[in-house]
Amino acid sequence: MRQVRDGDLGSMAVLFERHHRALLNYFVHMNGNRDFSEDLVQDVFVRMMKYRQSYQPDKPFTAWMYQIARNAQSDAMQKRKFEVELGHADVSMTHGMDEKLKREQEIELLRRAMARLSVDKRELLVLSRFQNLKYEEIASILGCEVGAVKVRVYRAVRALGQIFFELSQRRMAAPGEEMA
Amino acid sequence: MNCEDLKRNFVEYWRGTLNASELESFETHLASCPQCREEAEALKHVWSTLGEMPEAEPGLGMRTRFYASLREAERREMERQSRFWWVRHPALQAGFALAILVAGIFIGNITARGSGQITQLQAEVNSMKQLVTLSLLQQQNASDRLQGVNWSYRVEQSDSEVLAALLTTVNHDPNVNVRLAAVDALHNFADSPVGRRGLIQSLNKQESPMVEIAILDQLVEMKEKDARPAITKLMSANDVNPEVKQHAVWALGKLQ
Repeated sequence: MRQVRDGDLGSMAVLFERHHRALLNYFVHMNGNRDFSEDLVQDVFVRMMKYRQSYQPDKPFTAWMYQIARNAQSDAMQKRKFEVELGHADVSMTHGMDEKLKREQEIELLRRAMARLSVDKRELLVLSRFQNLKYEEIASILGCEVGAVKVRVYRAVRALGQIFFELSQRRMAAPGEEMA
Repeated sequence: MNCEDLKRNFVEYWRGTLNASELESFETHLASCPQCREEAEALKHVWSTLGEMPEAEPGLGMRTRFYASLREAERREMERQSRFWWVRHPALQAGFALAILVAGIFIGNITARGSGQITQLQAEVNSMKQLVTLSLLQQQNASDRLQGVNWSYRVEQSDSEVLAALLTTVNHDPNVNVRLAAVDALHNFADSPVGRRGLIQSLNKQESPMVEIAILDQLVEMKEKDARPAITKLMSANDVNPEVKQHAVWALGKLQ
Protein backbone atom coordinates (compact mmCIF):
# COMPACT_ATOMS: atom_id res chain seq x y z
CA MET A 1 0.00 0.00 0.00
CA ARG A 2 2.96 2.25 0.63
CA GLN A 3 3.80 2.01 -3.09
CA VAL A 4 0.20 2.80 -4.04
CA ARG A 5 0.24 5.82 -1.76
CA ASP A 6 3.45 7.01 -3.42
CA GLY A 7 1.81 6.95 -6.84
CA ASP A 8 2.32 3.37 -8.03
CA LEU A 9 -1.30 2.48 -8.80
CA GLY A 10 -0.19 -0.80 -10.42
CA SER A 11 0.51 -2.18 -6.94
CA MET A 12 -3.22 -1.92 -6.30
CA ALA A 13 -3.59 -5.11 -8.36
CA VAL A 14 -1.52 -6.99 -5.77
CA LEU A 15 -3.78 -5.74 -2.99
CA PHE A 16 -6.86 -6.71 -4.96
CA GLU A 17 -5.62 -10.25 -5.55
CA ARG A 18 -4.72 -10.61 -1.88
CA HIS A 19 -7.83 -9.18 -0.25
CA HIS A 20 -10.86 -9.17 -2.56
CA ARG A 21 -12.07 -12.58 -1.45
CA ALA A 22 -11.91 -11.69 2.27
CA LEU A 23 -13.68 -8.42 1.58
CA LEU A 24 -16.40 -10.13 -0.43
CA ASN A 25 -17.04 -12.49 2.46
CA TYR A 26 -17.04 -9.63 4.96
CA PHE A 27 -19.83 -7.94 3.00
CA VAL A 28 -21.77 -11.13 2.27
CA HIS A 29 -21.82 -11.96 5.97
CA MET A 30 -22.76 -8.41 6.83
CA ASN A 31 -25.61 -7.93 4.39
CA GLY A 32 -26.37 -11.34 2.94
CA ASN A 33 -26.58 -10.09 -0.64
CA ARG A 34 -23.91 -11.30 -3.01
CA ASP A 35 -24.37 -8.86 -5.91
CA PHE A 36 -24.58 -5.95 -3.54
CA SER A 37 -21.40 -7.21 -1.82
CA GLU A 38 -19.51 -7.41 -5.12
CA ASP A 39 -20.43 -3.77 -5.75
CA LEU A 40 -19.17 -2.87 -2.30
CA VAL A 41 -15.82 -4.65 -2.83
CA GLN A 42 -15.45 -2.60 -5.99
CA ASP A 43 -16.31 0.52 -4.04
CA VAL A 44 -13.65 -0.28 -1.41
CA PHE A 45 -10.89 -0.52 -4.00
CA VAL A 46 -12.01 2.68 -5.70
CA ARG A 47 -11.99 4.43 -2.32
CA MET A 48 -8.51 3.04 -1.56
CA MET A 49 -7.19 4.55 -4.78
CA LYS A 50 -8.97 7.82 -4.15
CA TYR A 51 -7.96 8.23 -0.52
CA ARG A 52 -4.56 6.55 -0.74
CA GLN A 53 -2.88 9.62 0.76
CA SER A 54 -4.71 8.96 4.01
CA TYR A 55 -2.96 5.61 4.46
CA GLN A 56 -0.36 5.73 7.21
CA PRO A 57 2.42 3.19 6.55
CA ASP A 58 3.15 2.74 10.25
CA LYS A 59 -0.40 1.46 10.90
CA PRO A 60 -1.63 -2.01 9.86
CA PHE A 61 -3.01 -2.09 6.33
CA THR A 62 -5.84 -4.49 7.26
CA ALA A 63 -7.23 -2.04 9.80
CA TRP A 64 -7.27 0.76 7.21
CA MET A 65 -8.90 -1.51 4.62
CA TYR A 66 -11.67 -2.64 6.97
CA GLN A 67 -12.30 0.92 8.08
CA ILE A 68 -12.93 1.80 4.44
CA ALA A 69 -15.08 -1.33 4.08
CA ARG A 70 -17.17 -0.38 7.11
CA ASN A 71 -17.74 3.12 5.76
CA ALA A 72 -18.69 1.73 2.35
CA GLN A 73 -21.16 -0.68 3.96
CA SER A 74 -22.65 1.94 6.22
CA ASP A 75 -23.02 4.53 3.41
CA ALA A 76 -24.66 1.97 1.16
CA MET A 77 -27.05 0.82 3.87
CA GLN A 78 -28.13 4.37 4.50
CA LYS A 79 -28.74 4.96 0.82
CA ARG A 80 -30.58 1.76 0.10
CA LYS A 81 -32.25 1.08 3.43
CA PHE A 82 -31.06 -2.41 2.79
CA GLU A 83 -32.40 -5.28 4.80
CA VAL A 84 -30.30 -8.31 5.53
CA GLU A 85 -31.63 -11.24 3.60
CA LEU A 86 -32.74 -14.14 5.67
CA GLY A 87 -32.29 -16.95 3.18
CA HIS A 88 -35.05 -19.12 1.84
CA ALA A 89 -34.14 -22.70 2.65
CA ASP A 90 -36.68 -24.76 4.53
CA VAL A 91 -35.20 -25.13 7.97
CA SER A 92 -37.82 -27.31 9.59
CA MET A 93 -36.19 -29.90 11.84
CA THR A 94 -37.52 -33.39 11.56
CA HIS A 95 -36.60 -36.26 13.78
CA GLY A 96 -34.38 -38.96 12.40
CA MET A 97 -33.07 -36.91 9.51
CA ASP A 98 -29.71 -37.48 7.96
CA GLU A 99 -26.82 -35.95 10.00
CA LYS A 100 -25.41 -34.04 7.05
CA LEU A 101 -28.76 -32.57 6.18
CA LYS A 102 -29.33 -31.69 9.82
CA ARG A 103 -26.00 -29.85 9.92
CA GLU A 104 -26.85 -27.95 6.77
CA GLN A 105 -30.14 -26.87 8.27
CA GLU A 106 -28.39 -25.77 11.44
CA ILE A 107 -26.08 -23.63 9.35
CA GLU A 108 -29.09 -22.13 7.60
CA LEU A 109 -30.70 -21.44 10.96
CA LEU A 110 -27.53 -19.80 12.18
CA ARG A 111 -27.50 -17.62 9.11
CA ARG A 112 -30.97 -16.45 10.08
CA ALA A 113 -29.84 -15.87 13.63
CA MET A 114 -26.93 -13.77 12.31
CA ALA A 115 -29.35 -11.70 10.26
CA ARG A 116 -31.36 -10.94 13.39
CA LEU A 117 -28.31 -9.89 15.36
CA SER A 118 -27.60 -6.16 15.70
CA VAL A 119 -25.16 -4.79 13.11
CA ASP A 120 -22.50 -4.10 15.76
CA LYS A 121 -22.57 -7.63 17.10
CA ARG A 122 -22.74 -9.19 13.65
CA GLU A 123 -19.71 -7.19 12.61
CA LEU A 124 -17.70 -8.39 15.63
CA LEU A 125 -18.45 -11.99 14.71
CA VAL A 126 -17.64 -11.44 11.05
CA LEU A 127 -14.29 -9.88 11.92
CA SER A 128 -13.33 -12.41 14.57
CA ARG A 129 -14.78 -15.62 13.15
CA PHE A 130 -14.93 -15.26 9.37
CA GLN A 131 -12.11 -12.82 8.79
CA ASN A 132 -10.15 -14.46 11.60
CA LEU A 133 -8.65 -11.15 12.71
CA LYS A 134 -6.72 -10.83 15.95
CA TYR A 135 -8.26 -8.83 18.78
CA GLU A 136 -5.57 -6.19 18.31
CA GLU A 137 -6.58 -5.73 14.68
CA ILE A 138 -10.26 -5.53 15.54
CA ALA A 139 -9.49 -3.00 18.26
CA SER A 140 -7.63 -0.92 15.71
CA ILE A 141 -10.52 -1.10 13.21
CA LEU A 142 -13.18 -0.22 15.77
CA GLY A 143 -11.01 2.29 17.59
CA CYS A 144 -11.29 0.71 21.03
CA GLU A 145 -9.21 -1.22 23.56
CA VAL A 146 -8.36 -4.90 23.14
CA GLY A 147 -10.06 -5.69 26.46
CA ALA A 148 -13.29 -4.15 25.19
CA VAL A 149 -13.13 -6.27 22.01
CA LYS A 150 -12.78 -9.40 24.11
CA VAL A 151 -15.92 -8.62 26.08
CA ARG A 152 -17.89 -7.51 23.04
CA VAL A 153 -17.04 -10.64 21.06
CA TYR A 154 -18.19 -12.80 23.95
CA ARG A 155 -21.45 -10.84 24.18
CA ALA A 156 -21.97 -11.18 20.45
CA VAL A 157 -21.46 -14.97 20.56
CA ARG A 158 -23.86 -15.22 23.49
CA ALA A 159 -26.49 -13.06 21.77
CA LEU A 160 -26.18 -15.13 18.59
CA GLY A 161 -26.45 -18.29 20.66
CA GLN A 162 -29.65 -17.07 22.30
CA ILE A 163 -31.32 -16.27 18.98
CA PHE A 164 -30.09 -19.53 17.48
CA PHE A 165 -31.42 -21.70 20.34
CA GLU A 166 -34.68 -19.81 20.34
CA LEU A 167 -35.10 -20.46 16.62
CA SER A 168 -34.09 -24.11 17.02
CA GLN A 169 -36.56 -24.69 19.82
CA ARG A 170 -39.36 -23.10 17.85
CA ARG A 171 -38.54 -25.32 14.89
CA MET A 172 -38.44 -28.40 17.05
CA ALA A 173 -41.77 -27.49 18.65
CA ALA A 174 -43.50 -26.72 15.37
CA PRO A 175 -41.73 -28.52 12.49
CA GLY A 176 -42.60 -27.28 9.01
CA GLU A 177 -43.94 -23.91 10.17
CA GLU A 178 -42.74 -21.05 8.01
CA MET A 179 -40.20 -18.85 9.75
CA ALA A 180 -41.25 -15.26 10.36
CA MET B 1 -10.22 -17.13 37.18
CA ASN B 2 -13.88 -16.43 38.06
CA CYS B 3 -16.96 -17.03 35.89
CA GLU B 4 -16.72 -13.62 34.22
CA ASP B 5 -13.03 -13.99 33.37
CA LEU B 6 -13.73 -17.40 31.97
CA LYS B 7 -16.51 -16.19 29.65
CA ARG B 8 -14.33 -13.36 28.36
CA ASN B 9 -11.81 -16.00 27.34
CA PHE B 10 -14.19 -18.40 25.59
CA VAL B 11 -13.23 -17.35 22.09
CA GLU B 12 -9.52 -17.40 22.77
CA TYR B 13 -9.93 -20.85 24.29
CA TRP B 14 -11.65 -22.10 21.13
CA ARG B 15 -9.10 -20.39 18.97
CA GLY B 16 -6.28 -21.96 20.99
CA THR B 17 -4.62 -18.62 21.74
CA LEU B 18 -4.55 -18.77 25.55
CA ASN B 19 -1.11 -19.06 27.05
CA ALA B 20 -0.19 -21.99 29.32
CA SER B 21 -1.10 -20.38 32.66
CA GLU B 22 -4.37 -18.89 31.29
CA LEU B 23 -5.27 -22.27 29.85
CA GLU B 24 -4.62 -24.01 33.13
CA SER B 25 -6.76 -21.65 35.20
CA PHE B 26 -9.46 -21.68 32.47
CA GLU B 27 -9.69 -25.47 32.55
CA THR B 28 -9.54 -25.60 36.35
CA HIS B 29 -12.52 -23.28 36.61
CA LEU B 30 -14.41 -25.03 33.83
CA ALA B 31 -14.01 -28.39 35.57
CA SER B 32 -15.39 -27.02 38.82
CA CYS B 33 -18.29 -24.86 37.49
CA PRO B 34 -21.24 -26.68 35.86
CA GLN B 35 -22.98 -23.45 34.69
CA CYS B 36 -19.89 -22.24 32.87
CA ARG B 37 -19.38 -25.69 31.40
CA GLU B 38 -22.92 -25.75 30.07
CA GLU B 39 -22.64 -22.29 28.52
CA ALA B 40 -19.22 -23.09 27.05
CA GLU B 41 -20.55 -26.21 25.36
CA ALA B 42 -23.61 -24.49 23.95
CA LEU B 43 -21.69 -21.50 22.61
CA LYS B 44 -18.90 -23.65 21.24
CA HIS B 45 -21.51 -25.36 19.11
CA VAL B 46 -22.55 -21.95 17.75
CA TRP B 47 -18.93 -20.91 17.20
CA SER B 48 -18.01 -24.06 15.33
CA THR B 49 -21.19 -24.00 13.25
CA LEU B 50 -20.32 -20.45 12.23
CA GLY B 51 -17.01 -21.81 10.98
CA GLU B 52 -18.84 -24.20 8.70
CA MET B 53 -20.74 -21.50 6.88
CA PRO B 54 -19.75 -21.66 3.23
CA GLU B 55 -17.55 -18.88 1.88
CA ALA B 56 -18.65 -16.78 -1.05
CA GLU B 57 -16.50 -17.32 -4.14
CA PRO B 58 -15.64 -14.17 -6.06
CA GLY B 59 -17.06 -14.20 -9.58
CA LEU B 60 -14.91 -13.50 -12.64
CA GLY B 61 -16.78 -10.27 -13.24
CA MET B 62 -15.30 -8.79 -10.07
CA ARG B 63 -11.79 -9.09 -11.39
CA THR B 64 -12.74 -7.68 -14.79
CA ARG B 65 -14.46 -4.71 -13.19
CA PHE B 66 -11.57 -4.04 -10.84
CA TYR B 67 -8.97 -4.05 -13.61
CA ALA B 68 -11.13 -1.78 -15.74
CA SER B 69 -11.40 0.72 -12.89
CA LEU B 70 -7.66 0.44 -12.21
CA ARG B 71 -6.87 1.25 -15.84
CA GLU B 72 -9.24 4.19 -15.67
CA ALA B 73 -7.60 5.46 -12.46
CA GLU B 74 -4.14 5.11 -14.04
CA ARG B 75 -5.30 6.99 -17.13
CA ARG B 76 -6.68 9.83 -14.99
CA GLU B 77 -3.49 9.91 -12.94
CA MET B 78 -1.37 10.22 -16.10
CA GLU B 79 -3.62 12.99 -17.38
CA ARG B 80 -3.31 14.82 -14.10
CA GLN B 81 0.46 14.45 -14.13
CA SER B 82 0.78 15.65 -17.72
CA ARG B 83 -1.41 18.66 -16.92
CA PHE B 84 0.91 19.68 -14.10
CA TRP B 85 4.20 18.42 -15.51
CA TRP B 86 5.71 21.90 -15.36
CA VAL B 87 5.06 22.07 -11.63
CA ARG B 88 7.35 19.13 -11.02
CA HIS B 89 10.05 20.03 -13.51
CA PRO B 90 12.92 21.54 -11.52
CA ALA B 91 14.13 23.90 -14.24
CA LEU B 92 10.67 25.30 -14.81
CA GLN B 93 9.95 25.55 -11.12
CA ALA B 94 13.10 27.58 -10.77
CA GLY B 95 12.29 29.66 -13.82
CA PHE B 96 8.85 30.36 -12.46
CA ALA B 97 10.27 31.40 -9.10
CA LEU B 98 12.80 33.62 -10.82
CA ALA B 99 10.10 35.23 -12.96
CA ILE B 100 8.18 36.10 -9.82
CA LEU B 101 11.29 37.57 -8.27
CA VAL B 102 12.08 39.64 -11.35
CA ALA B 103 8.50 40.89 -11.39
CA GLY B 104 8.94 41.72 -7.72
CA ILE B 105 12.06 43.73 -8.47
CA PHE B 106 10.30 45.54 -11.27
CA ILE B 107 7.40 46.47 -9.05
CA GLY B 108 9.76 47.35 -6.24
CA ASN B 109 11.71 49.55 -8.64
CA ILE B 110 8.59 51.44 -9.65
CA THR B 111 7.06 51.80 -6.25
CA ALA B 112 9.93 52.08 -3.82
CA ARG B 113 12.63 53.68 -5.91
CA GLY B 114 14.88 52.88 -3.04
CA SER B 115 18.32 51.76 -4.13
CA GLY B 116 18.84 49.81 -0.90
CA GLN B 117 15.83 47.66 -1.58
CA ILE B 118 16.86 47.08 -5.17
CA THR B 119 20.31 46.01 -4.13
CA GLN B 120 18.77 43.63 -1.67
CA LEU B 121 16.46 42.21 -4.29
CA GLN B 122 19.30 41.83 -6.75
CA ALA B 123 21.21 39.93 -4.13
CA GLU B 124 18.19 37.71 -3.68
CA VAL B 125 17.98 37.11 -7.42
CA ASN B 126 21.65 36.17 -7.49
CA SER B 127 21.20 33.80 -4.63
CA MET B 128 18.17 32.33 -6.40
CA LYS B 129 20.21 31.78 -9.57
CA GLN B 130 22.89 30.11 -7.52
CA LEU B 131 20.33 27.87 -5.88
CA VAL B 132 18.80 26.88 -9.20
CA THR B 133 22.19 26.09 -10.69
CA LEU B 134 23.33 24.03 -7.74
CA SER B 135 20.11 22.10 -7.43
CA LEU B 136 19.96 21.36 -11.15
CA LEU B 137 23.56 20.13 -11.15
CA GLN B 138 22.55 17.56 -8.56
CA GLN B 139 19.61 16.14 -10.46
CA GLN B 140 19.58 12.48 -11.54
CA ASN B 141 18.52 13.33 -15.03
CA ALA B 142 21.40 14.34 -17.37
CA SER B 143 19.26 16.87 -19.23
CA ASP B 144 18.46 18.61 -15.93
CA ARG B 145 22.17 18.75 -15.10
CA LEU B 146 22.84 20.18 -18.55
CA GLN B 147 20.35 22.91 -17.79
CA GLY B 148 22.18 23.47 -14.52
CA VAL B 149 25.39 24.02 -16.47
CA ASN B 150 23.54 26.55 -18.67
CA TRP B 151 22.20 28.31 -15.59
CA SER B 152 25.76 28.71 -14.31
CA TYR B 153 26.34 31.34 -17.01
CA ARG B 154 23.90 33.59 -15.18
CA VAL B 155 25.63 33.58 -11.84
CA GLU B 156 28.35 36.01 -10.79
CA GLN B 157 31.89 34.97 -11.67
CA SER B 158 32.84 35.30 -8.05
CA ASP B 159 30.40 32.58 -6.97
CA SER B 160 32.72 29.98 -5.50
CA GLU B 161 29.99 27.46 -4.77
CA VAL B 162 28.86 27.28 -8.38
CA LEU B 163 32.49 27.10 -9.48
CA ALA B 164 33.13 24.18 -7.15
CA ALA B 165 29.98 22.45 -8.39
CA LEU B 166 31.06 22.91 -12.01
CA LEU B 167 34.49 21.46 -11.27
CA THR B 168 32.88 18.48 -9.55
CA THR B 169 30.72 18.03 -12.63
CA VAL B 170 33.77 18.14 -14.93
CA ASN B 171 35.53 15.53 -12.81
CA HIS B 172 32.75 13.21 -11.81
CA ASP B 173 29.59 13.55 -13.91
CA PRO B 174 28.80 10.17 -15.51
CA ASN B 175 27.53 11.83 -18.68
CA VAL B 176 30.11 13.04 -21.25
CA ASN B 177 27.84 15.74 -22.66
CA VAL B 178 27.33 17.26 -19.23
CA ARG B 179 31.08 17.18 -18.57
CA LEU B 180 31.79 18.85 -21.92
CA ALA B 181 29.23 21.58 -21.24
CA ALA B 182 30.73 22.14 -17.79
CA VAL B 183 34.23 22.54 -19.32
CA ASP B 184 32.82 25.23 -21.62
CA ALA B 185 31.01 26.91 -18.74
CA LEU B 186 34.27 27.17 -16.81
CA HIS B 187 35.35 29.74 -19.37
CA ASN B 188 33.05 32.07 -17.47
CA PHE B 189 35.37 31.64 -14.49
CA ALA B 190 38.59 32.29 -16.45
CA ASP B 191 39.49 35.12 -14.09
CA SER B 192 39.34 32.87 -11.07
CA PRO B 193 42.64 31.25 -10.06
CA VAL B 194 40.62 28.49 -8.40
CA GLY B 195 38.80 27.81 -11.66
CA ARG B 196 41.99 27.70 -13.70
CA ARG B 197 43.75 25.47 -11.21
CA GLY B 198 40.75 23.17 -11.04
CA LEU B 199 40.67 22.82 -14.81
CA ILE B 200 44.39 21.97 -14.93
CA GLN B 201 43.95 19.33 -12.25
CA SER B 202 40.99 17.76 -13.94
CA LEU B 203 42.98 17.23 -17.15
CA ASN B 204 44.74 14.20 -15.66
CA LYS B 205 41.53 12.82 -14.16
CA GLN B 206 39.62 12.42 -17.39
CA GLU B 207 38.99 9.19 -19.23
CA SER B 208 37.08 10.55 -22.18
CA PRO B 209 39.29 11.80 -25.08
CA MET B 210 36.56 14.30 -26.03
CA VAL B 211 36.65 15.93 -22.62
CA GLU B 212 40.46 15.93 -22.57
CA ILE B 213 40.50 17.74 -25.89
CA ALA B 214 37.88 20.24 -24.66
CA ILE B 215 39.95 21.01 -21.56
CA LEU B 216 43.09 21.45 -23.68
CA ASP B 217 41.20 23.92 -25.89
CA GLN B 218 39.92 25.78 -22.88
CA LEU B 219 43.39 26.03 -21.32
CA VAL B 220 44.83 27.31 -24.58
CA GLU B 221 42.08 29.88 -24.85
CA MET B 222 42.76 31.00 -21.28
CA LYS B 223 46.46 31.14 -22.14
CA GLU B 224 47.11 29.14 -19.02
CA LYS B 225 50.83 28.53 -19.05
CA ASP B 226 50.74 26.80 -15.67
CA ALA B 227 49.01 23.93 -17.42
CA ARG B 228 52.16 22.82 -19.22
CA PRO B 229 53.30 20.19 -16.65
CA ALA B 230 49.84 18.64 -16.64
CA ILE B 231 49.75 18.56 -20.44
CA THR B 232 53.19 16.96 -20.55
CA LYS B 233 52.02 14.35 -18.06
CA LEU B 234 48.96 13.65 -20.21
CA MET B 235 51.14 13.16 -23.31
CA SER B 236 53.43 10.72 -21.57
CA ALA B 237 50.65 8.55 -20.17
CA ASN B 238 50.74 4.99 -21.51
CA ASP B 239 47.13 4.68 -22.49
CA VAL B 240 46.67 8.13 -24.01
CA ASN B 241 44.52 8.38 -27.10
CA PRO B 242 46.66 9.28 -30.19
CA GLU B 243 44.36 12.20 -31.11
CA VAL B 244 44.57 13.55 -27.59
CA LYS B 245 48.35 13.21 -27.69
CA GLN B 246 48.48 15.11 -30.97
CA HIS B 247 46.23 17.82 -29.57
CA ALA B 248 48.36 18.06 -26.44
CA VAL B 249 51.43 18.64 -28.55
CA TRP B 250 49.58 21.44 -30.33
CA ALA B 251 48.44 22.94 -27.01
CA LEU B 252 51.91 22.87 -25.55
CA GLY B 253 53.17 24.67 -28.64
CA LYS B 254 50.49 27.35 -28.17
CA LEU B 255 51.32 27.84 -24.52
CA GLN B 256 55.08 28.32 -24.98
